[in-house]
Order: sequence, then C-alpha cells, then structure tokens
Amino acid sequence: MGSTEKIKIESLTYAYPFSDKNALENISFSIMPGECVGIIGRNGAGKSTLCLALTGLVPKFFKGRYSGKVLLDGEDVRQISYEKLVTKIGLVLQNPFSQITGARITVYEEVAFGLENLGIPRDEIKQRVEAVLKALDLWEKRDENPFELSGGQLQKLAIASVLVLQPEVLVLDEPTSQLDSGGTKEVFEIISQMKSQGITIVLVEHKYEMLVEYVDKIIFLQEGKMIAFDEAEKIFSLPEIDEYMVGEPIYTKLCKKLNLKNSRGYYPVKFSEAVGILREARCGSDR
Amino acid sequence: MDLIVKVENLWFSYKSGKFVLKNINVSFDGVSTAIVGQNGAAKTTFVKILKGLLKPTMGDVWINGVNTKETTVAQLAKVVGLVFQDPSEQIFKSKVIDEVMFGPLNIFRDKQYSYQMAIEALKLVGLDGKVNEHPYDLTLSERKLLCIASVLAMDPKVVIFDEPTIAQDRYHIKKIGELVLELEKNGKTVIAITHDMDFVFDYFKRTLVLHRGNLLVDGKTDEILQREDVLKAAGLDTPYIFKISSSVGTVISKLFPI
Amino acid sequence: MRVLGLYVERDTPVHKLAPFTKLMYAVTSTVVTFLFPSITVGILFLVLSVFLNTIARVLKHLIALLMVVSVLSISIFLIQGMFYVGNYTPLFSLLRLTFYKEGLLRAVVLVLRLFNMISAFGILMLTTRPSDLIDDLVRRGLSPNVGYVIASVLQIVPQMLSTATRIIDAQRSRGLEMNGSFHKRFKAFLALIGPLVLGSLLEARERALALEIRWFEARTKRTFLKDFSESKR
Repeated sequence: MGSTEKIKIESLTYAYPFSDKNALENISFSIMPGECVGIIGRNGAGKSTLCLALTGLVPKFFKGRYSGKVLLDGEDVRQISYEKLVTKIGLVLQNPFSQITGARITVYEEVAFGLENLGIPRDEIKQRVEAVLKALDLWEKRDENPFELSGGQLQKLAIASVLVLQPEVLVLDEPTSQLDSGGTKEVFEIISQMKSQGITIVLVEHKYEMLVEYVDKIIFLQEGKMIAFDEAEKIFSLPEIDEYMVGEPIYTKLCKKLNLKNSRGYYPVKFSEAVGILREARCGSDR
Repeated sequence: MDLIVKVENLWFSYKSGKFVLKNINVSFDGVSTAIVGQNGAAKTTFVKILKGLLKPTMGDVWINGVNTKETTVAQLAKVVGLVFQDPSEQIFKSKVIDEVMFGPLNIFRDKQYSYQMAIEALKLVGLDGKVNEHPYDLTLSERKLLCIASVLAMDPKVVIFDEPTIAQDRYHIKKIGELVLELEKNGKTVIAITHDMDFVFDYFKRTLVLHRGNLLVDGKTDEILQREDVLKAAGLDTPYIFKISSSVGTVISKLFPI
Repeated sequence: MRVLGLYVERDTPVHKLAPFTKLMYAVTSTVVTFLFPSITVGILFLVLSVFLNTIARVLKHLIALLMVVSVLSISIFLIQGMFYVGNYTPLFSLLRLTFYKEGLLRAVVLVLRLFNMISAFGILMLTTRPSDLIDDLVRRGLSPNVGYVIASVLQIVPQMLSTATRIIDAQRSRGLEMNGSFHKRFKAFLALIGPLVLGSLLEARERALALEIRWFEARTKRTFLKDFSESKR
C-alpha cells in the first residue's frame, strides 16, 4: 500500500443542500506529489464542486449530503484545521473580479491580506509578498487599486494572493475562462512555473489546446460521475468520447477525421506531435 | 439584400474628449460578421452605438433606414437585438418563460403573441423543455442561451453578440456557433464581437479587425485570418487551423476539406 | 476609474495636504462655529473655506453642493423668522405672515454654520481620495478592521454602480422604457434592482469564499502591516 499520494479521494458522493441530485457521485482517484492534473467536462458536470471538495470548502462552507473521504497527505480534509488547510491547498476561482476581497486598497495589501490573517511576522510578510509579486510580474503594479487592473492582471493577482500562502497544492477552477488570449497565456506561464517548482496542480480548463501541453493526466467528469482518469491522449481517443460532446483539441479532431494515430496507437493531442504526424501523412499522400 | 445597418464617417468620444472610434465607414447586410480586436479596441463601444445605446459624436448610423439619433433605444429594440456578455446582468424573472417574454411584451404589448414568440425562441436555443424552471436552476451555459432567446423572441433583424463564447464549454460554443449559422440562414444579420479566433473561423463569413478605434481591415474571414501581419498589428492570435497549415506546410483545406 | 465620493482630480497645493490635516480643519471650523455662534466668526470661517476651495480649483463643485443645501436654508429662514421662541421685534410682513428680527438673525447664524460646515468638509471631500483618507487614519491609529469595512464598501459600491449601468443598458435593449408613468417607472426599477441584488448576492458568496480561502476567520493574532506604506517609500 503506497501512502505517498498527495491527494486521495475515496468514493466521494455529495449533494448540495435542498438538492436531491448528486453533484458528485462515487468519485475515487489519487494524485501524486508534483503531478499536474486537468479536469474536463461540460458546464454543470461537477468540476467546480470537485474543486471545492478538494479544498475542504465542501463540506465546511457548503453543507449538504456528504459521504466518502478526501485525503490530503493521508489526512481527511474535514479533520485538518482550516488554518493549516489554507497553507496546504490553495484555490483560484473563475471570476477574477469577485475573488478580490476589496478589503484592501492596493495590490500589495491585497496579497498581504492572507498572511496578516495568519499572523505571519511583518518582515516575513514583506519578503514573501515581494517575492510573489516579482515572480508574477506584478511588482510594478503594487501601489495600484486592484479594481483598476485588467482581467488578466486581476486573475494573476488572485493567484498571487493564494501563492503567497505557499500551498503545496494549487487548485484552479477555469482560471482563464473570462480572459482574452493574452491573459490566458500569462496564467498558463504561471502554471508552468508552479509545476516546475514541484507544486501539485489541479486545473479545470476548457481550452484543451493549452491544457494538454501542461497536464500529466486528465479527469473527465460527466453529470457528477467520473468517466475516466487517464493521460490526455487516451482520454481524447476514447471510442465513446464523441457521445459526451465535450469536444477535443482542434488538431486532434483533424487527426481523428483523417484517422491518423501516433506510435502508441492514440490520436495526437499536442500541437507539435499533431504537426509531425500530419506532415508525414502529407508526404505519404504526395507520393 | 439592402443594407440594414449603415455606418457613415462615425467618430465617437466619451466625455473625456479623446476619440475612441475614428472615421468608421462600414455597412452590414445578411452576412454574419465577426468584429475582432484586442481589449481596448473599442469593440463594445462600437456595438453600443449600433444598438443606439450611445449616439455618434460625429457621423451617422442608419438602422433600417432610420438614423439612430432620431429614435429611442426601445424603438430600435424591434430591429436590433444585443446579447450582453453576462447573463446575470439581465435575468430577473423567476421563470424561464417570463424572462424570455419580457422583451416581446415591452415591444409588442400582446400577451398571446409574446408567448408564441418566446416559445419559438426557446425552441431555437433548445430550452423549450425548461420553460417553467427558475433561471438560476439552469447551468451558466443554459443561462447564456436563455439570454439569447430573450433577444431572439423580439424577432430583431439584426442580432449582435458581445463575446458569446466567454465562460462557455466546448459543447455550448459549438451550439452558439450553429445558432449563428441558423440565424444567418433565416435571413438575420448576425454581428459578434469576440477574441476567439477559432470561433470566428468556424462560423463567420466576414471579419472586421478593429485596432485602437480604427477599422484595420474588412473582408472575407478565411483571407483575413491568414494575414499574419494584420493579426500581429492588432495583437490577435492566428486560429489553430492556420497555425497547423503553416507548420505542416500545406493549405489545410487541401489536406482536409472542412 | 470611478471612486465613490466627490473627489475631483486636480494638481493643487490643497490636494497635496495630508488628508488628516484637512479633516482636522473641517472639524475645527465646524466646532468653532458651533461654540461661538456669532455672525462674524461664521463669515470669517466661510471666507477662509471658500478661499481654500478656490485655491483647490473646486469652487464650481462647492457651489453645486451649496445649492443643494440652500433649499434647506430657505426653510430655516421661514421657520426661524416666524416661529423662533425668542421672537420679539417684528421686522416686516409678507402675505400676512410676520417675520421677526431675532428669528432672522438666528437663521443667519444657522445657515452660516451649515454653509461653513459644507465648505469646510467640501475641501476634504473634493480634494481627497477616500482611500487616502482611510489610509491616513489607519496609519494614525484607526482600527484596521473598521478601515477594512469602510474601504471595501468604498471599493465595491462604485463597481456596483457600473454594474447597474450595464443592467440598465441590457434592459433598455429589450425594449424597456425608462420614462413615463409611475407604473412604467416602477416596472423599470424592478428590472434594474432584480439583477443587481441577485448578482450582488452571487458575488458576495464568491467574495466570502475568497475571504475563507485566505483565512479571514483566523483565531490567531493578526499581523497589521500598519506602517508599511511609510517604509515602502
């Protein structure tokens, strides 16, 4: 029995208060330290609820029917003191605007807010806030009002406010869905930076072309149930995937129509691989 | 087809005095058109002017032969429909059907007719099975479709979408795209502002590129989206399909007829 | 960017004064005119305040504020002039209503006091960003918790105002008439307030999550970064 999993979920079933429909049904999986895992599925599939469950906000903040277990480093999230939990696992939400507490007047103070609450010594706060703002390229904006930032910068600020707590796991729920392509790229750059620092990442994302370049595995949810948990190319090569109508990376779709697979027998999901395979196919057809 | 929307020498500035739209001349007929551009290109300002919510500082906008300066927003609602970005900024009824009937009741004043229009619009977006549900029991994507229906129920000749793909999943992006095609087929003039270049490529025949208040180019989508100089100048992405074409070294339509 | 309040962006020496100093001036001039209810003192402070407002190039905005309270002033003259308890010397009669000297003098003092207060606080409000004032107060010992509450309200209300503008646009786009009979206007009001309240509730829930994630309920002793804005410079 390996007990080194960072996150382990055991037959988690959950329904929101006043709802007889299960938002999550019998979910089980585990994630190893440093892994980057994507979550895909249609709106309403339970992706956000799963994020809330991972961070313990379900059932702490959202009550309701809850059975099964979410284990973080082998400990049930319901047993971990919330104070300890926020430094272990961080959550970034979809809407950058409503994540800003509004309690503070500047970008700098907004980031420092969580550390102040935790009673971290002042000098350490200054050091950590500075480091995070510089890493996320927000240092120049430190004296600005958060609400004056662009959407992309606001989302980076939300990520900074969570990263400053130095969590071991970062959960991001559609962090780019409200952003334009520039903002999306910036957020993904941060994600890749976090990944290289060994932070375990769980990422809900509809922009598959970006997602597949970063994730080790993908969780595929449909109506609260986990349909699959596997590598991206295996997920998008599932014979029944079309029936779920979740879509696929654009070049995977192309390769599917042309029936072009990679050496492992799956449709390519990454850009460079797809280009290689298409090039080969073209040479073949030219001859 | 006659020009239902005609923009002549349009200049616009907010109170501050700096022009955010500069000498725009363009017209729209039955061809679905995407307006693309970076944040700050004044796309939203432009569609608000088309809708009559803002009036030109200089120049004129003609909708169905009527100058927007000489009519009211409520009057224009019969001709131009605008689907806003955020559904939560308009939904206020406790039933799907009532929300969709709100617009038609305002402009037609006939309950029976409004109901019919609402039901037809809900059918078109695929929500006819949820007529009596509470809008907030729907998923975010369904709420977006609800807002689209609430505009279509007024039977406008021109339908404008403001960032229709934002916060949507792949399934619903496709669904909205197919709706664009359907509306175009039904003789509507569809205009969308968006930064989702793949969405533009898939569903719009014509593309306008706005950059810092200037109309950079106006033409066929598949020609414009291949012009990397234009896209780069406007700070836009090349759609994935053309990224592949240029990397593979062949025109993708030859390799794979779309 | 919209900031809640009356702040007018200008580059003048009055704008550059410490917010706390301006607050002190406003309080002092108000208190003094209350303690010494003489017309001379009133005029003196009023002239000084108007002078400061002129230096700050916000006189136009101040006059707009004074216009609003002048309606109140007229009623003060009417009521005090006719019904002040100390009324003894009739001065003149208008439409068979008698006005007395004592009451009118009393009204002059009251109105001066009111104008004086508006002008003095006008300097503060018209030339100071609310957030700068809170910042200055917190630095001088106001409880940061009280500061948070004021700051977040000041931060979020302007956002709600711009949301309200977008909602009005959305409803007008669906043919809603904003003018007309009371019934029509009431309908329009419902169409505005409904999405505004629902939207705010949804947003409040997310904002509560954001506070939760950053452990706002901490039972540990908070650190206050009270003086960091000084050391940063």
